[in-house]
Amino acid sequence: MECHEFISQLDDYLDGRLDERPMRAHLNVCDDCRQQYHHAVAVQAAVRKLSPPEVHPAFVDRAIQRATRRDAAGAHPRRRALLGMALAASLVLGVATGAYLSLRAAPVQTVAMTVERPETVRMVFDSVKPLRAATLSLSLPENVEVVGFGGVRELSWQTDLREGQNLLQLPLIAHGAVKDELLAQLSHGASTKTFRVKLEVAKSGASGM
Amino acid sequence: MPPVSPYRRGRPAELNFEDLIRPQVEYLYRLAWRFTGSVTDAEDLLQDVLLKLYPRTQEMLAIQKLRPWLAKVMHNQYVDTVRQRARSPVLELAAGGDADEDPLDKIPTTGDGPEENAERSGQRDRILAAVRQLNPEQRAIIAMHDVEGYSLEELEKMLETPIGTLKSRLHRGRQRLRALLPMEPFSVGERVKR
Repeated sequence: MECHEFISQLDDYLDGRLDERPMRAHLNVCDDCRQQYHHAVAVQAAVRKLSPPEVHPAFVDRAIQRATRRDAAGAHPRRRALLGMALAASLVLGVATGAYLSLRAAPVQTVAMTVERPETVRMVFDSVKPLRAATLSLSLPENVEVVGFGGVRELSWQTDLREGQNLLQLPLIAHGAVKDELLAQLSHGASTKTFRVKLEVAKSGASGM
Repeated sequence: MPPVSPYRRGRPAELNFEDLIRPQVEYLYRLAWRFTGSVTDAEDLLQDVLLKLYPRTQEMLAIQKLRPWLAKVMHNQYVDTVRQRARSPVLELAAGGDADEDPLDKIPTTGDGPEENAERSGQRDRILAAVRQLNPEQRAIIAMHDVEGYSLEELEKMLETPIGTLKSRLHRGRQRLRALLPMEPFSVGERVKR
């Protein structure tokens, strides 16, 4: 057996879908392919070992309740209108204060919107570790507001970030032409990170990114 | 299909639903997390699936092997969600490639242990990051085949997708993972013998 044949059949071999004898015979004589094989097995084992953080019991209760009370709760209740399960209750106005030791901005991204047409902007905050009581602050450009928070341009609230991706869904509406930035500032302890989203609001026409 | 017992038939749907679903929630959550690579998205996907399942409680009562059936429902919902998201604006505000310089990444959490723990955690992050770079179809097939152990033949029926297509997704997904995860971190301790 040639190396290229071995490599092309490696996945079938891993899955036990081949006559193993010629593959084993090749493994015994080829260091490179043996290394490739061990690597493939190790990667597979590593992926198998990945396990999610434990599901929160309160989430399970709430998810079952929502499923069984669909009619009462509305056509399709969203789990996370904004970051954090209980944001509506914990939302406070004003910009968070604190001692910022460092500040690094992420690359600016652009969202195109149309005047008076609500658009949900989703931001994903990727955290390598759980962060308790992080503060998220939003600063909105003039003429832009979060749907349901008319006239409010600065919002701040505390939330827990979990390991991995944390979704922030922002239902935004613009009441006039805008070419400015939305600032989302995430603070935890003495650290702060600022994300900027450029909003380009046209008076009419299709919206999109 | 076995008939639904008179006891079950007479109970309120929400009680039957909870009896059926609660023992499966952890499995469904795990699957959702493996599909999406994110706790937040996994919770959303699971919630969507539960919303879809509740009106089908009677149907579920008559299913003998619930897990493969639930996995199929979860997969279908996942595919729908991915398609929906492709049509809506999404901003990825991730830390970027230079995560080591990000002050938020350096915040210690209580319980951070000795150096070995940190190394293990670093390796887990690398593997997770690699899995997240797969496309949704590749993540799903790797989750269902390589992790949950469904055979390609089972998946062909469950997902109503030709086995050749599934094999191709699996092959490409594995190739991508191997390319993203260099050999070096997978030293002797990670090796598993067949």
